Amino acid sequence: MSIHFEKVDHIYSPNSVFEFQALEDVSLDINIGKITAIIGATGSGKTTLVQHLNGLLLPSKGFLTVNDFTIKADEKPKNIKELRKQVGLVFQFAEYQLFEETLIKDVAFGPKNFGVEEKEAEMIATRALITVGIDPKDFVKSPLELSGGQKRRVAIAGILAMSPSILVLDEPTAGLDPQGAKSMMELFKMLNKEKGITILIVTHNMEHVLEYCDEVVVLEKGKVIMHTDKKQFFKNDQYMEKASIDPPIIIAFKKMCEEKGVTFDSDVLTIDKLVSEIVKKRGRR
Amino acid sequence: MNNITLGKYIPLNSFVHKLDPRTKIIAMMILLIAIFIPTGFVGYGIIGVFLLISLISSKLSFSFVWKSFKPSLFMLVFLLVINVFLIKTGDVWLTIGSFNLYSGAVIQTVYIVLRLLLMIIITTMLTATTKPLDLTMGLEDLLSPLAKLNVPTHDIAMMISLALRFIPTLLEEAQRILKAQASRGVDMESGSFKEKIQAILSLIVPLFVSSFQKADDLADAMEARGYVVGAKRVRYKQLKFTFFDFITLVSTSGLLVGLILLRVL
Ligand SMILES: Nc1ncnc2c1ncn2[C@@H]1O[C@H](COP(=O)(O)OP(=O)(O)OP(=O)(O)O)[C@@H](O)[C@H]1O
Ligand SMILES: [Mg+2]
Repeated sequence: MSIHFEKVDHIYSPNSVFEFQALEDVSLDINIGKITAIIGATGSGKTTLVQHLNGLLLPSKGFLTVNDFTIKADEKPKNIKELRKQVGLVFQFAEYQLFEETLIKDVAFGPKNFGVEEKEAEMIATRALITVGIDPKDFVKSPLELSGGQKRRVAIAGILAMSPSILVLDEPTAGLDPQGAKSMMELFKMLNKEKGITILIVTHNMEHVLEYCDEVVVLEKGKVIMHTDKKQFFKNDQYMEKASIDPPIIIAFKKMCEEKGVTFDSDVLTIDKLVSEIVKKRGRR
Repeated sequence: MNNITLGKYIPLNSFVHKLDPRTKIIAMMILLIAIFIPTGFVGYGIIGVFLLISLISSKLSFSFVWKSFKPSLFMLVFLLVINVFLIKTGDVWLTIGSFNLYSGAVIQTVYIVLRLLLMIIITTMLTATTKPLDLTMGLEDLLSPLAKLNVPTHDIAMMISLALRFIPTLLEEAQRILKAQASRGVDMESGSFKEKIQAILSLIVPLFVSSFQKADDLADAMEARGYVVGAKRVRYKQLKFTFFDFITLVSTSGLLVGLILLRVL
């Protein structure tokens, strides 16, 4: 089990006026069993990068390996269906992919494509819908009757129903209310902890990175400029500035304190810890 | 999907790009008429040379035109097969068993292929060198005499420009949905008939839903910015007729007249 990118380039519409190099010389090892955040400014190539993982896009140069699959330039990997079963990819604004008459049918669509019997598929779908927190009495509703956030959950259930071992989420919380976004992140954390699913999340939300992710990959203009664990990442905020991202409030707070001469340990990354540090410092005075 | 070139605007800097859209629309119509004047291969040769020169001066690549032509290949093969079986004029060129291939069938097919190829080059040149908005502006101007007869020319032009504006958006959307469904194991290429139907539904339904949503949003956005159906509007950009437009129109008209003379004499 591994995810490895080796010198991957991706060029959109090569040899035309629309030619655009979206990825350049990307070499990357994603750690299995972890939650990895992929961050970077708009247009830095995050979506392009993750769409390689299940063979939707092929490298223009270089190759990548995902579990036992090799995805090379200009050649569809063998048994691509199995790859797509193992790597579940949830799209940016996934709610637009729903099409069946009822939620349960829509979620069962994935497993059925992978050869699961109708009855069995619906059972899997039921479980997936419960996992993402949809009310069972809504299961026979049409997707069109749901709110945007609920639709997003159903779309995620549609991917979970394929029981992937790697789950890739492209901005899963964009446009959700803060509470809904939080509970969705909790869901991913739970899937990672309890089922051991490797998770990659494309996100612009640094609070989520700080609270839920283990590792961080920073993209800039199609290049990976940093890949490190969370603690290291939040130690130097120059990368956040480079990726034009606001730091989480707690990091910003610490920085302001440091400018005034009060320093905290770099391990202090939660409110709880920060408060007890402050109390400790006061006690010492 | 990325290879769909039909109706795509290619931003280049060429003589043809700079022509007035009205000129290009009129020239296109003249050329389309010219194609249907039966002057045999000589006429097609003349039009072909004319188009070749225009194509080169528009800086579009040949492969681009070829890509626009490719989707119709299937239809042409189909046509060839039908012609081969139905047309029984001219000399027999080939006999296989009880089947005779007549020269008429082949010549007829070549005519149709040439005609279609020329038509595609002409229309592609128009849409590839003219921004959709300029195109509708030109169209509106050309239709403006009809406004006197109470034809809502402006609304028609607006509808056309919206439709053109949304072609790339729809293609992008379709591509996105295709990818999303492929991630759920949809295989557009292989699979049984039933699976294929299901696969197509999984594309069409979301596409319809989001198109209606977009249309709704767009209508609201236009109204919010004060758009009133049928109201009188002025233009920010003015079309300008230059010396080059004059030359273009004269030379295309000359071509048409020449072909007519060739036919009559
Ligand atoms: N189909 C395409 N054809 C040509 N260029 C494309 C295509 N898709 C994306 N690009 C370009 O590639 C670059 C990277 O796009 P990508 O979607 O990967 O960015 P992103 O990091 O996901 O951005 P965002 O945060 O806005 O989602 C962008 O500059 C975009 O314009
Ligand atoms: Mg993206």
